[in-house]
Amino acid sequence: MARIRRRDESVEVLVDRRERAALLQILERLEPMLDESTWAKPRAYEEEELEQEFRRLVGSDLDDSRSSDVARMRSSLESDGPILLSSDETWGWLRALNVLRLALAERLGLDEDGWEDRFSQRQHRRPPLATLHLLSWVQEELVEALAVP
Amino acid sequence: MSTVQEGVSEQTGSRAEGETKEFRDRPWRVVVWNDPVTLMTYVVFVLRRILGYDLETATRLMLQVHTEGKAVVATEPRERAEVTVAQLHAHGLQATLARD
Repeated sequence: MARIRRRDESVEVLVDRRERAALLQILERLEPMLDESTWAKPRAYEEEELEQEFRRLVGSDLDDSRSSDVARMRSSLESDGPILLSSDETWGWLRALNVLRLALAERLGLDEDGWEDRFSQRQHRRPPLATLHLLSWVQEELVEALAVP
Repeated sequence: MSTVQEGVSEQTGSRAEGETKEFRDRPWRVVVWNDPVTLMTYVVFVLRRILGYDLETATRLMLQVHTEGKAVVATEPRERAEVTVAQLHAHGLQATLARD
C-alpha cells in the first residue's frame, strides 16, 4: 500500500510498481479532460469582454502551467527508485491533482456538496469514483506531509 | 507560477493606455467559490501560500467558502487582483474578480 511521508526537506512518495502504473494510467486518461473542463479552467470575470482580456493575458500561461505540473508528476512516477519531491515539486503534484480531480468530478456531474451520499459503497469502490478517491487520498497525504514543520 | 505573474505584468502597458489611473487603482474583490471536490485542507494551504495568511485567517476564509458558498479573500488594485486570481486558478481554485 502506498505511503507518503516527510523526509527532511523532501516529501517521499512510496509506491510500488503496480501503484505507479495505476497512477500513470490515471494521468493518461484524465489529462485530455483538462482542455474541456470549465472547472479546471474557471472564468475570472462575469463580463465577457473582461474575461476575454484576462484569457488573452494569462490563458496560455495557465494552460502551460497545468500541462507542466502534470508532466512533472508523470516524470516522477516514471523514474526508477524512490520518489523524493522538493517543496516546489510537491506543490506541482498538488496543483496537478486538484485540476485533474476537478475535471473528473465535472465529467461525473458531482456538482453539489454531499455527492458522496448519492452512491453506494460498491459504487465508491469501483472506477471512476475509486479513481477520484485515490487522487484525493494522495493529495491529502501530500498536504499533511508538507505541513510537517 | 512565475510565468503566470509575468503574463499579467508584461501586458500591463498595452492595456493601461486605455484606462484612467483612477480605474486601474480602484479596488477589486477576489472571490473564492465553493466547489464540491476540492479538499478543505488544500484550500487553507493555498490561501496561506498565495496570500500569506496565517493558519487562523486561512481556516476562517475556507470555512466561509464552504458554508456560505464564497468568500472575499483579498481586495486589491485590478492588476494585482488579476495576478492573485491567476495564481488561484493555477492551483485549481474557483476564483473571480468583482468591482469593490
